Amino acid sequence: MGAEKIVRAAAGPVIAISVAVSLGGILLLIIGFNPFRTYYELFSLGMGTYLGVTESLKRMAPLLIMSAGLIIAFRSGIWNIGGNGQFLIGAVLAGGIAPLLMDRLPLFLFFAVLGCAGFIGGAAWVTIPAVLKAKYEINEIIVTLMMDFIAIYLTAYLVRYPLNAQPGLFPQTVLIPIEKRLPNIPLTEVHIGLIVGLIAVVFAHYLIKITTLGYEIRFSGESRKAALYAGVNIRKVVVIAMLLSGGFAGLAGANDVMGIKGAFQAEWNPGYAYSVIPLVFLSRLNGIAVIPLAYFFSFLSIGGEFMSRAAEVPVFFVQVIEALMLIFFGVSEQIRKRGGFSWGS
Amino acid sequence: MGILRLLFSEPFFVVLLGGTLTASTPIILAAAGEDFVESGGVLNLGLEGMLLLGSFCAFIAALLTENIYLGLLAGMAAGVIVGLVFGYLVISLKVNQIVAGLGIEIFVVGLTSLLHRVLFGNTFPVVSEITSKTAVPFFSSLPYVSSIFNQHLVTYISWALLPIAWWVLYRTNFGLNVRAVGENPAAADAHGVNVYRTRYIALIFEGVLAGLGGAFLSICDLAFFVFHMTQGRGFIAIAIVMLAKRNPANLFYWAFLFGICHSLTFGLQILGLDVPREFILMLPYVAVIVLLCFLARNTRLPGAFCTPYERE
Repeated sequence: MGAEKIVRAAAGPVIAISVAVSLGGILLLIIGFNPFRTYYELFSLGMGTYLGVTESLKRMAPLLIMSAGLIIAFRSGIWNIGGNGQFLIGAVLAGGIAPLLMDRLPLFLFFAVLGCAGFIGGAAWVTIPAVLKAKYEINEIIVTLMMDFIAIYLTAYLVRYPLNAQPGLFPQTVLIPIEKRLPNIPLTEVHIGLIVGLIAVVFAHYLIKITTLGYEIRFSGESRKAALYAGVNIRKVVVIAMLLSGGFAGLAGANDVMGIKGAFQAEWNPGYAYSVIPLVFLSRLNGIAVIPLAYFFSFLSIGGEFMSRAAEVPVFFVQVIEALMLIFFGVSEQIRKRGGFSWGS
Repeated sequence: MGILRLLFSEPFFVVLLGGTLTASTPIILAAAGEDFVESGGVLNLGLEGMLLLGSFCAFIAALLTENIYLGLLAGMAAGVIVGLVFGYLVISLKVNQIVAGLGIEIFVVGLTSLLHRVLFGNTFPVVSEITSKTAVPFFSSLPYVSSIFNQHLVTYISWALLPIAWWVLYRTNFGLNVRAVGENPAAADAHGVNVYRTRYIALIFEGVLAGLGGAFLSICDLAFFVFHMTQGRGFIAIAIVMLAKRNPANLFYWAFLFGICHSLTFGLQILGLDVPREFILMLPYVAVIVLLCFLARNTRLPGAFCTPYERE
C-alpha cells in the first residue's frame, strides 16, 4: 500500500477523532471542567507514565481480540452488537473451569483450554441470533442485544450460586493464583494476551483478504443480492461470521480472567463492545489499521479510568467522545463518499 | 396450584395488572413512533437514546420545577432533539443508519451517566410529591380491574394514541405519504411528496412520543434517574414494531405482553417463588427472542428500508 493511499485512508478517522475531541472539550467547558487541563491529565495519566503505558498495553488485548471478531462480522454485513454478553459468557466459563484444571494441567495447556472454553462459550452464545438470522432473516441487532441482557443475568446467577467461591462474601469464582495467570511478555509487565490480540487481528485481516471464505464474506457484505446470484452460500457465511465474532468476544473474556482479574466477579461488565464498535469503524474494518487505533482507544480508556479515580471527570466522558468519533466517522465517510467499500445494509 | 391461586387472588392480580399496564406504556409510545419512522423507510436504532435522554431531561426538569407536566414537556423536547440530530445525520448527510443509530445510543448512555455523575455524584435524588395518577371515579374501586382505571395520565394518552396512529398511518394522506416514502421514495418524489420532509416529520413525531415514554419512566413510573435506566426498552420497542408488522393496531398486544413479563419480574419475587431472581429478571428479553423466532420470520420490510434517499 502506497503512502499516499494510507494518508488518504487515515484522513477520515483523524478528522472524526479531532472533531469528537473538540466537541468533548466544549462539553467539558459546559459542565464546568477546564478542557485543556482535562485533556492534559488524560494524556499524562494514560500515556505519560510507565503505569499508564503498561495498563494501556494490557487493555489492548481484549479490544484487539474483540475487534478481530467484529471486523469479520461487519465485513460480512452482519451486525453483531452483543459483544458485551458474549464477553461475559466467555469470562464466566473460563472463571468457572479454571479451578478444576488449575492443578492438573501444565500451564500452557491450562491457558489453551481456558481460551478455547471462552471462545466456545462466546460462539455458543451467538448461535441463537446466528441461526435466526440465517434461517429466518430475523434482525440480528435486536436478538444479539437481547442476548446481552440475558447474559448479564445468567452470569450473575452463575457467580452468585454454583460458581461462587466465597458464599456470604462478595460473589466471585475461585481466584487463580498470580503464578498461574498469563505470563508477561519478556522484559515487560504486559501479559501475553497482547500477543494473542495481535495474532487475532492479523488472522482476521488475512482471513478476509486472501481466503475463499474471506472473499465470500466481503462479497456478501458488499452486496447480498449479487453474492446470492453468484452462488455464495449466504447462510453459511452468516453463521460462520457470527460464530467467529462471538467466539472472539468470548476469548477476550477468558483473556481478562486469565490475565488481569484472576476470577469472574459479580457485577463486572466492562462493556468493551461500546468501544470496539467505534474502534473497528475508524479502522475501516482493516485488521492492520486497527492496531494503532486500539492503542489509542486503550490509552483513552485507561487515562479515563485513572482520571476518574483521581475524583475528577467521570469515566463516562471517554464513552461520550468514543461515540462522537463513531458518529463523525460516519459523517466524514459520507462527505468523501464514493471512496472504497460499502458497509452493506 | 397454590401459586396460581395466589396469582389470581384479588389484591395480587390488581397489582400485577397495574404493573403490566405501567410497564407497557413507554414501550407503546416508543413503538408507535418507531412504527411511523420504519414505515417511512428509516430504522432508528437511536430510539434507546431518545428514551434515555427523555428520561434524563424530564427528571432534571421535574427536579428543578417540581412540576410533572414541565418534566414531561422537557422529555418530549429532548426526544425531538435526538430525532432531529438523527434525522440530520441519516436523511440530510445520508450517514449509514445503523452506524448513526448505534452512535447516538452509545453517546446518550455515556452523556446521561456523565451528567448525572457530575450533578449528583453518587447520590440518586428523588422527585417526590408529584404524581400524575388519575383515578377514574367509580371504576377505580371495582374489584380485579381497579388498576386499569388508576393509571398515570400518560398511560391513558398512550392508549388513545394507538387508534389515532393507526388512523393517521392508514387512512390519511400523510400516512399514505409516509408509507409511499418508505416503499418507493423515487416514485413518491415524482408525485410531489417531499421525501426528506416526510421522514423528518416521522422522526419528530417519534421524538415526541419516545421522549414522553422516557419521561414516563423516570418521573411517573419511578421518581429518579439511574444509569441506562431504559435497559434495552428502545430495542424491545423496535422488536415489537417487527412483531406488529408495522401496524399500530397490533402494537398494544405485544407491548402488553412485554408488560406482563416485566411486572412478573416483580410479582414472582413477591410471591417468593423458589426461582433465582436472575431467571425472573431475564424473562422480558427471553420473551422477545422467542416471539421474534415464531412470529417475525422473513418479515417483509418497506422497499427502501434503511437506505438514504438521493434525489436525482
